[in-house]
Amino acid sequence: MATYAAEVAVSKRPAKAGRIGRFFFAGNGAGYMFLAPWLIGFLGLTLGPALASLYLSFTDYDLLQAPKFVGMDNYVRMATGDAKFAAAMKVTFLYVILSVPFKLMFALALAMAFNRGIKGLPFYRAVFYLPSLLGGSVAIAVLWRQLFAADGLINSILGVFGIDGPSWISNPNYSLYTLVVLSVWQFGSPMIIFLAGLRQIPQDMYEAANMDGASKARQFFRITLPLLTPVIFFNFVIQTIDAFKAFTPSFIISAGTGGPINSTLFYTLYLYQEAFGFFRMGYASALAWVLVLIIAVFTTFSFLSARYWVHYDE
Amino acid sequence: MSAYSVSRRALLGAGAGMTAASLLGLRPAAAQQKDIRVFWWGSQERADRTNRAVDAFKKANSGIDAKTEFAGWSDYWPRLATRVAGRNAPDLIQMDYRYMFEYARRGAIVPLDQYLGSALKIEGFDKANLESCSVDGKLFGINLGVNSSCAVYDTAAWEAAGVEPLTFGTSWDEFSAKCAAFAKGNKRRRFYATMDASGHEPAFELWLVQHGKVLYTEAGQLGFDEKDAAGWFKLWADMRKSGGCVPADVQALDKSTLDTSTLTLGYAATAFPHSNQFVGLQQLNKAKLAITAVPVTAGGKPGQYLKPSQMWSVTSDSKSPDIAVKLANYSVVDPEGSKILGVERGVPASAAVRDLLSPTLDEVSRSVVDYIGKLGPYTAKLPPSPPKGAGEVFTVLERVSQEVGFGVSPEEGGKKFVTEAVSILKRG
Repeated sequence: MATYAAEVAVSKRPAKAGRIGRFFFAGNGAGYMFLAPWLIGFLGLTLGPALASLYLSFTDYDLLQAPKFVGMDNYVRMATGDAKFAAAMKVTFLYVILSVPFKLMFALALAMAFNRGIKGLPFYRAVFYLPSLLGGSVAIAVLWRQLFAADGLINSILGVFGIDGPSWISNPNYSLYTLVVLSVWQFGSPMIIFLAGLRQIPQDMYEAANMDGASKARQFFRITLPLLTPVIFFNFVIQTIDAFKAFTPSFIISAGTGGPINSTLFYTLYLYQEAFGFFRMGYASALAWVLVLIIAVFTTFSFLSARYWVHYDE
Repeated sequence: MSAYSVSRRALLGAGAGMTAASLLGLRPAAAQQKDIRVFWWGSQERADRTNRAVDAFKKANSGIDAKTEFAGWSDYWPRLATRVAGRNAPDLIQMDYRYMFEYARRGAIVPLDQYLGSALKIEGFDKANLESCSVDGKLFGINLGVNSSCAVYDTAAWEAAGVEPLTFGTSWDEFSAKCAAFAKGNKRRRFYATMDASGHEPAFELWLVQHGKVLYTEAGQLGFDEKDAAGWFKLWADMRKSGGCVPADVQALDKSTLDTSTLTLGYAATAFPHSNQFVGLQQLNKAKLAITAVPVTAGGKPGQYLKPSQMWSVTSDSKSPDIAVKLANYSVVDPEGSKILGVERGVPASAAVRDLLSPTLDEVSRSVVDYIGKLGPYTAKLPPSPPKGAGEVFTVLERVSQEVGFGVSPEEGGKKFVTEAVSILKRG
């Protein structure tokens, strides 16, 4: 498509193709030229491989030999006989359900504090945003390992109070929660968006409410929250999709094992293990498509529910 | 990296040239290609040594270019497999006993018998060694060093605890008793006599062999049953109870790398690595370490074995296999090349190289060579190659050992492990 666009742009000839060609190219040559770098990348590096993986999801493919078509086998296996898949689903859903609400609450609380107009706001805003910049990095995951290990900082502090803490990060009862804490700590980006949303709420509403003697709590629930719902909705959808796709923290902290005892086996990590640990590219592709489906279903439901609780006030 | 930054003009030129050549019925001049790519896994120490050896090789053979690249063990295999799939494999690759059969039988690496005696002067390697690098009677690997499992301990820590450390011939029962005594004598907080090796496959395997069993049979089936696995888990459960080995949440910090070993992290005074890793471990540890054999089973059979720690293989994608073989030969039998590599990959298979190296070795390297030399009575023959799926079974052993560590009974653990392992092997 892109080469065709290029040809049109260069020769200025009218498109020879039929209706579709005219729809796409009539007079838009220059536009497509500008779009080309992204378009080529999208078609070649995103859409192409995605479609290839859709095909591979119906095959048995170990990289060394050509893919063998196996029909629905991969999907059937996932649904019926894969305990590790079930474990990964459980871990991932637990992570999403815990990390997203806490992160959003935390982000909103700080955004409200900042909205009061404290001295040195830009400085604090930057400081509080910092974890979000670093959070996805390998270094932070390593830091987390140090903090929550048996002789880590957390236990040293607990030790002062005479508490002998476990090795949080490598104990299956706690390890996932350390990852939840890591995620909540990266509240920067929703916080900034909340802050922008709070600034949009007209001050006269609060003034009127004050005049009527409404308490701060009442003002929050009756004014702030309803008017903020579009922003909450946006943050909620984005953060949930991100949480479903979480990979790095578990990959680094558990060294790719998802351990101990699969307690940090994120869905994406399981997918990675199947693909690059055990070379089951077919099964891993099927896993990837199921994740796409899960996220699509979730997003659809979020949008359907939005009409009942999101207020677009104009 | 510069090799990859090709200018557009060069690319167009090459394309045009190739098109013209194919029109004329010519094939690109692959036979004259003099540059190869070399790929291995391992530590920075290994990379430094290998790069120096490759540089020396290039200096000695003008006109030949060799590009090197390395990765950690867990990144190495996905990257290699991806390139093999893309028909773009490096020429000379480091191969492991576990993967050799798969790669050889699928034609990803080539047999080397035709080079024996000419470009490849490794006839001096002993017969067992050459066999351990062969698949279906053909040579597919060039041994880079011999190693075995071993026990490594912190001498000062054992001394401070007032317990005599393990040595050649110490039995598992004696070892457990020593570790329990260590727990009584030890003063350091969160410090234990040994790592918990219950999820460590090499240790489990040699314990099985000591008991007359094997991990995998020739036919690629499990060579042990639930009771055996339960016995192994119980051995370590008892040690955990006596405070002899590290608790489960500490052992789970060990990510099977030298820097996360509970010995290096300062939780344990004993670890069970491969003997060639002793050099790397000592470098990471301030405490002076000693190397000795893994415990034996009283009245049992020898359980350790000598294996190629790694080998060179030549890929079928290689356009200049003869140069790849030449470099491999340089690194294992040439005095200059083998001297640079030393014993970091294991004890050299060539007796001549061993003799050549021995006066130049430092104390740490020498103790590895001595260790392998003394191991004779404790070794059995190389077990059959692991079947497809063995890599996944390994992860199950680790996971079930953790479940036992965190409270599941050894009997239940044994049952779980065997059931899951059987179903993985069936799937392949």
